[in-house]
Amino acid sequence: MSDRLTHGEWSDAVESGELLGQTCSDCGKTQGTPKAACPHCGSRALETVELPTEGVVYTETTINVPPVGVEERGYQVAVVDLGEARVMGRLSDGEVGIGDTVEVSGFTEDDDGYVAPAFEPR
Amino acid sequence: MARAAVVGAGMTKFGVHDKPLQELFGEAALPALDDAGVEPSEIDAFYFGNAMSGQAENDTHLGPKLASHVGMAGVPVQRFEDACATSSNAFKNAVEAVDAGIHDVVLVGGVERCTPETGQDTAAMTRIFASASHRQYEQPTGLTFPGVFALFTKRHMHEYGTTEEQLAEVAVKNHGNGALNPNAHFGKETTVEEALDGPIVADPFRLMDCCPFSDGASAVVVVSDELADSYDAPVDVSGVGHATDVVPIGDKDTPHVTQAARDAAAQAYEQADTSAAEMDFAEVHDCFTGAEILASEALGLVEDGEGGPAAEAGRTARDGDVPINPSGGLKAKGHPIGATGTAQLVELTEQLRGTAGERQIDGADSAVAHNLGGDAATTVVTVMEVRQ
Repeated sequence: MSDRLTHGEWSDAVESGELLGQTCSDCGKTQGTPKAACPHCGSRALETVELPTEGVVYTETTINVPPVGVEERGYQVAVVDLGEARVMGRLSDGEVGIGDTVEVSGFTEDDDGYVAPAFEPR
Repeated sequence: MARAAVVGAGMTKFGVHDKPLQELFGEAALPALDDAGVEPSEIDAFYFGNAMSGQAENDTHLGPKLASHVGMAGVPVQRFEDACATSSNAFKNAVEAVDAGIHDVVLVGGVERCTPETGQDTAAMTRIFASASHRQYEQPTGLTFPGVFALFTKRHMHEYGTTEEQLAEVAVKNHGNGALNPNAHFGKETTVEEALDGPIVADPFRLMDCCPFSDGASAVVVVSDELADSYDAPVDVSGVGHATDVVPIGDKDTPHVTQAARDAAAQAYEQADTSAAEMDFAEVHDCFTGAEILASEALGLVEDGEGGPAAEAGRTARDGDVPINPSGGLKAKGHPIGATGTAQLVELTEQLRGTAGERQIDGADSAVAHNLGGDAATTVVTVMEVRQ
């Protein structure tokens, strides 16, 4: 049995207001999403780590033309820099810009039950 | 010695087509064969690209269907799917096959329908396009493809001060070029004011910053270097680079640098023993105006951070020092996903032959094509040159 982080565990954490990532024991890089091996060096020595739930908006956009299955318009998607890793999520307050500090405020869920973290200004 | 040569090229007009995929492809493939002066029986293999026909039209296993339609049933066909970089990856594999001596004469092409002729409306097609972003770690946020490139572009604006006016300048230039291209989806010029007045799709992109949903097909005939001189109008393929980057965006080191494009360009220039400075023009993957600015920097045509000012100053116009997208680009020529990569190579072929008509870049000897797929996670860069 491997204790390597899975999508299921990552999602359970998101639903609990937590963020999990992986740190490579060989090259030291941290990823914000689970993989079977380090995308940078190929090492399988990936340690599951708790990521900070507070970070700084690295980039963001407000989407006015959604895909089918998303009913709202004008929702904001961001990549949040958590220090050692970045993660993509929704911004629950639509007036957040690059450089603003945000914290996990919950999560969103799509039609197939896949979740993404949500953030709000701190 | 070139890696291969393009000896025939053809494409449909990009736009709205009410006809099945095989008929659409035939309208590109038969002209490409005729241009090369080859019969279907002379084709050793077919390298083909289509990204989404299974999702959009319930139409898969297209390889033998298309081969049957254009008179080459029986040849080995391989189909490629790499989002928007689909047919340039088919082209890369074709070049490698003739370069390695596995085949002598091959057909390469792509076809796609993305307009409501497929039965899919804008919201449905937006979701199909979004399938190229990460299913678990990007799609649940409601991310769309305008959104993907908006994320890259807003960070670029933050780092370098790139402006919405500079983005609009890209749209104005490419619509002007497209107006001179009889195969372009849009034949109408626009203005910075009109572009900046459009509705926002995903900020900073307004409607005129975005390429359209298009239907279309494109094809080229590729032969080995040894055979090239036995054809009327060969154009050399000097280098083809291909690289990928980490998915999802959150795990990329510096998303807006589009690292795969830089890696692919370095490979292509090295194979061709050339450099960005030697390129007389470029066809780049301007699915959104910001994407052209990122590409101009990733290919080394301008310095990092100078993509916006270069567009504003007219440097990337047909009469500028680094002409970009004389065809009108994806923005104005249109973007039928699986047909886009080979359509860029059709433009390079016509320009390097000196047969591009009103949009001809005078004296073009060397050119580069940049075809990007997904969240910038696949890029193929091709250098073509006038045959010596």
